[in-house]
Amino acid sequence: MLNPPIIVNINSLQENLKAKLKDSKLGLISSISGQELFTLILNNNEGNASLLISNIENNNTYSALTPAIPQAHWFERYLHEMFGIFPQNHPRLKSVIFNDLGIIDYPPLRSIDQNYQHNFQRDTSFLNIEGNDLYIVPVGPVHAGVIEPGHFRISCVGENIINLEIRLGFVHRGIEKRLTQIPLTSLRFYAESVSSDSSSANALANTLALEQMLELNVSERSKYLRTLAMEIERLSMHICDLGGMATDLGFNTIAMELARLRGQVFAMGDYLTGSRYLRNFIGIGGVRKDDDLYLSKIKSLIINLKPKLTKVINFFINNQNVYQRLHNVGKLSKSLACDFNMVGVAARACNIAYDTRLIYDQGIYPATILKLADESAGDALARTKVRIKEIITSIALIENVLDNIPQGTTQLANVKCLPANCIGLGIVEAFRGELIHLIFSDENGQIKRYAIKDPSFNNWTGLAISARNNLLADFPIINKSFALSYSGHDL
Amino acid sequence: MLDIINYLAKQGLATNKDLFADLNEACSGLPKINYDQSCSDLSCNKCVELCPTQAISLTYDQDNKISPDLNLAKCIGCSQCIDNCPDKVFVKNLNTKTAVTQIEDLVLSKAKSIAKANIQPIVNKNFRPLFKKSLSIRVVSTGCNACDLEINATLNPMFDLERFGINIVASPRMADALLVTGPCGLAMHEAIKNTYAAMPNPKLVIACGTCACSGGLHYNGYFKTNGLCPLLDVDVFIPGCPPHPWSIIYGLMLAMGHEIIAAK
Repeated sequence: MLNPPIIVNINSLQENLKAKLKDSKLGLISSISGQELFTLILNNNEGNASLLISNIENNNTYSALTPAIPQAHWFERYLHEMFGIFPQNHPRLKSVIFNDLGIIDYPPLRSIDQNYQHNFQRDTSFLNIEGNDLYIVPVGPVHAGVIEPGHFRISCVGENIINLEIRLGFVHRGIEKRLTQIPLTSLRFYAESVSSDSSSANALANTLALEQMLELNVSERSKYLRTLAMEIERLSMHICDLGGMATDLGFNTIAMELARLRGQVFAMGDYLTGSRYLRNFIGIGGVRKDDDLYLSKIKSLIINLKPKLTKVINFFINNQNVYQRLHNVGKLSKSLACDFNMVGVAARACNIAYDTRLIYDQGIYPATILKLADESAGDALARTKVRIKEIITSIALIENVLDNIPQGTTQLANVKCLPANCIGLGIVEAFRGELIHLIFSDENGQIKRYAIKDPSFNNWTGLAISARNNLLADFPIINKSFALSYSGHDL
Repeated sequence: MLDIINYLAKQGLATNKDLFADLNEACSGLPKINYDQSCSDLSCNKCVELCPTQAISLTYDQDNKISPDLNLAKCIGCSQCIDNCPDKVFVKNLNTKTAVTQIEDLVLSKAKSIAKANIQPIVNKNFRPLFKKSLSIRVVSTGCNACDLEINATLNPMFDLERFGINIVASPRMADALLVTGPCGLAMHEAIKNTYAAMPNPKLVIACGTCACSGGLHYNGYFKTNGLCPLLDVDVFIPGCPPHPWSIIYGLMLAMGHEIIAAK
């Protein structure tokens, strides 16, 4: 899946990247220790990925990629604050993780070296917006509901949103640093804690990357069970997001009924993995638990769930009020979605045909069942419709896995150390979109860099842009229609 | 509209009548120590090595026998100790009544089990007359979202938190208790303290989930992710990663001072 890395001169990186991005997608830009820059490019047509590595020679500075490649914008900001590397001429090198409330005065992921000068300043300022009749609504980090912390600064004229600025980083825990310090047996628990609503996706991405490094093959049955876990998670979280949308629209009947049906999906998770959030299941070599009795219980649950769920979803989406509230709200054009490198549900709602399940090997996804769920309008209604299509597909996939699961064994492999100097890549379609785990090992087989790119990392800018020129009262709906993760972004 | 009513009328009652039921057999739950078993191999150190959060330590008793101590404030319920113990000293605990009012009660050890054959949770008696019938909670989330989703799940028709007189409010001014989830990183310190300061007296503090109890997986990180204890005095601790909705409701009932359920 991952081609051998190519060394590219830092000065020609921009042109090189620009040529490559014409027919492929930018995966991730980061650094290993602060001395170099690596760029992961996903060649979606060929189904493989290539890695460009460039050394930074000139006193931790290089010419920023963002002016020519807008997709790099968030990555370069992250790079600056985590590694202390200066992309020169970056349009706005504002901090994305550390803000005024929690600041640390050194780049935490940079390896200690004597030559590094401690002269970098973090820019945590808000965009200055001025004008007649303009007022600012600051929201967060503690929200009125039970959701994760984030600060939104909404500048309005009358009822219209002129600009939305999002400040994140309140849930930063230093996971990327911790992942390089811990024994291999604990790795998957940290991967799962990146964002617990996509814990099985994170565990799978972590496992795929490690299995690639170890050149390990897993049994067919393990692949089926992993797919089952992934689809149960997708089903569960999409129902949750749909229910959240119903709550925000004031359609409590549907919200409560979806919450109740979601309980059945949680029960499936319990039977499969022993955890409602599908934790502690997927690991190197296979899966932790396998019991035919429980699979038959999952089957009876899904048979019971399917007609009820389709009925409730139809009540929701065919309701005139729902249509009126969601139609043309939070619209995002396809060209902007491409510029911001958006992924997952939000991208598919803008008619971008991209689903990593169709491209990269990550389980059992028969082409006859897994159809691309895309819409063209790019508004909140389109995102909700994509979600509904994916719920239907997930149910079909779960049924398919349960009908066709082969006999065999599965168990976790006992791995003590990794091969030296190798790279592992795991790409998984989490319920929010493309999730990347990239692992580099050093000459002793220790992990020297563990890079994670959550789908929310791409999509937060899209949310900020799509809220513009909408009503302030519609903002909760727009936010919910994206349903992004704070913890996955903040790491 | 009539279709929806027709559908709902046929669904029957969703709410669980069986309060604080044990988890089903397939669940992992939190571990507990089976005190009848003891470690046969003195050099076996498997559980300590495997535990991702250093929740287990080994102690020698007078007869030079080894018995493990388990700190549930750190445990994330990964079940590795249960799966890998050769002597089956660790077993599953499917009970959902796991919340305590003193953090020391979350440490399980053989010595303690002998000292207090029947540990009764200590109920916070100070505020009992005030909060016994209703409790308004303000939730501040600082973690990975799992605890938040479980708190949301307590509000669904199956668990229905509001039938116990507990409701989640939108402002600290209306709140009796502050419920914090997650490891409380540096960026949230001020927000948590401000939320607490904005609440009227008397007020309770509840730590929900392993991260809030001790920092959990993220303990001792560079972003000061050490849980809620360094910031505020905590009245109730709810262990689990994430705690089951019943465990959360049990913890809240404990905060309200319901002794009957606590002693059962």
